[in-house]
Amino acid sequence: MRIIDAHTHPVFMHDGATPAAARRLVAHGRAHGIVKMVALGDVLVHGRLPSAAQCRRINDETAQLKRWHPDYFIGFCCLNPTLGAQAVEREVERCVTQHGFRGIKLEISNNARDACMGAVMAAARRWQLIVLQHTWSQTNIHQRRFHSDPADTAGLARRHPDVTVIMAHLTGCGYRGVLEAKGLPNLFVDTSGAYPEAEILDFAVQELGAERILYGSDLPIRETSVTVGRVLGARLTPAQRRLILHDNAAKLFRL
Amino acid sequence: MFIDAHVALGPWPFAPLPERTAPQLVSHLKSNGINRALVSPLGAVFLPEPMPANRALFAAVRRTPALIPVPVLNPALATWREQLVACLAAAPIRAVKIIPAYHNYSLRLPALTPFIAAITAAGLRLIVVTRLEDERHRYHALRIKGLPVAQVAAFLSRFPATHVVCSGLNRPEIETLAATHENFSADIAFAEWLNTLALLTQKISARRLLLGTNTPLFDTRAQVDKLRLARLPAKTLALIGSANAARLFGL
Repeated sequence: MRIIDAHTHPVFMHDGATPAAARRLVAHGRAHGIVKMVALGDVLVHGRLPSAAQCRRINDETAQLKRWHPDYFIGFCCLNPTLGAQAVEREVERCVTQHGFRGIKLEISNNARDACMGAVMAAARRWQLIVLQHTWSQTNIHQRRFHSDPADTAGLARRHPDVTVIMAHLTGCGYRGVLEAKGLPNLFVDTSGAYPEAEILDFAVQELGAERILYGSDLPIRETSVTVGRVLGARLTPAQRRLILHDNAAKLFRL
Repeated sequence: MFIDAHVALGPWPFAPLPERTAPQLVSHLKSNGINRALVSPLGAVFLPEPMPANRALFAAVRRTPALIPVPVLNPALATWREQLVACLAAAPIRAVKIIPAYHNYSLRLPALTPFIAAITAAGLRLIVVTRLEDERHRYHALRIKGLPVAQVAAFLSRFPATHVVCSGLNRPEIETLAATHENFSADIAFAEWLNTLALLTQKISARRLLLGTNTPLFDTRAQVDKLRLARLPAKTLALIGSANAARLFGL
């Protein structure tokens, strides 16, 4: 079983930024069948509004992981879109041209419906990057001013049909979030985050098709055996499992 | 083969979960390596009094010895003594479960003193459910939160001679309680981090951890794999997977 983990934080709150820790993580991943990890960075280490310098530090750590294990980690560029178009463009260009990053990671600096996302999507279009947007149902959280609900991320994908968007955290998005993602071929959903609530993955496959779902763990917050196990435990065909665990990501990341 | 300390049977109104019969549940658990399970009635969570759900559970599992019924009681109700007697008469039970957050009382409830005395006298183990679901995902009109860990700590201090099984604690909560209290064990259904069990067993003896899947609310395979694929000595895995439950519940 070959797996690509589309949502990881190998460095989390400063932990994991050493060669030994990276080696341990790669060994851990390989033991679970994970052949590649998308490294999204230590995205909340400086709070929800990192400065341009703090974004650079986060992305430099991801780049360091890539240098240590170039065949294992795929880098995504952590951004704070509220810093403005110039800062966004400069950091994206740096991450792509110097570090070979393949995507953009957006956390909770702002909501995906905000105007500042225009520069992010333009940069994604220019550099052919995938945009991974942290998303969680705001029904019970009430932070929508800066925290994207599935409706916001789906709206982002709808406004930018030529950019591939990943709506993170299937379980956090919930049943309503799955329905928001329908009819948007450029929008993918990752399985990362939250406890392994039963049936939601089955529902997502039924409504969206396995082709639109990517395996993600959200490690270290989540346990790899659990996040893989929930895919293996769902009522899926072997072909659907293969798509979710590996083939969709391989195609998306052109591996 | 494992013993699962945290399984439920019956309907759950907020998600399209499979409503299995007892034989179907046994088959499902066996396919995931679980050959015995402590099973409570999910319907008791929302009923005004739990006995209809308990009676349905006893009837459902009468011919499935792999499922050990754990009735839910509510010590805030005037009739808990009669209900305890009825449960003892209905089935060979090993434990009773309380769900304070869903039944509108706290662990400071005065009636818990006679309640614990009664179940101890009956030779039963107490299971305290601190959480059943991720509060962020609950039905929008519900305002039920998990039990605060400080309340659980005060409860454990209040009954130092009673060894309680806590169900629903997350990893930091288990670690917090383990630092100050010896008189509890915990299932691992809500405990999660990279290398969960390796981390947890540095903070709490493996003799105080139990496999709990929270089936049907959580995916059984995923929860079993948390234990099955943990890099721990076989003896430790055996403790968490079955030996502790066998010891604590007299199985």
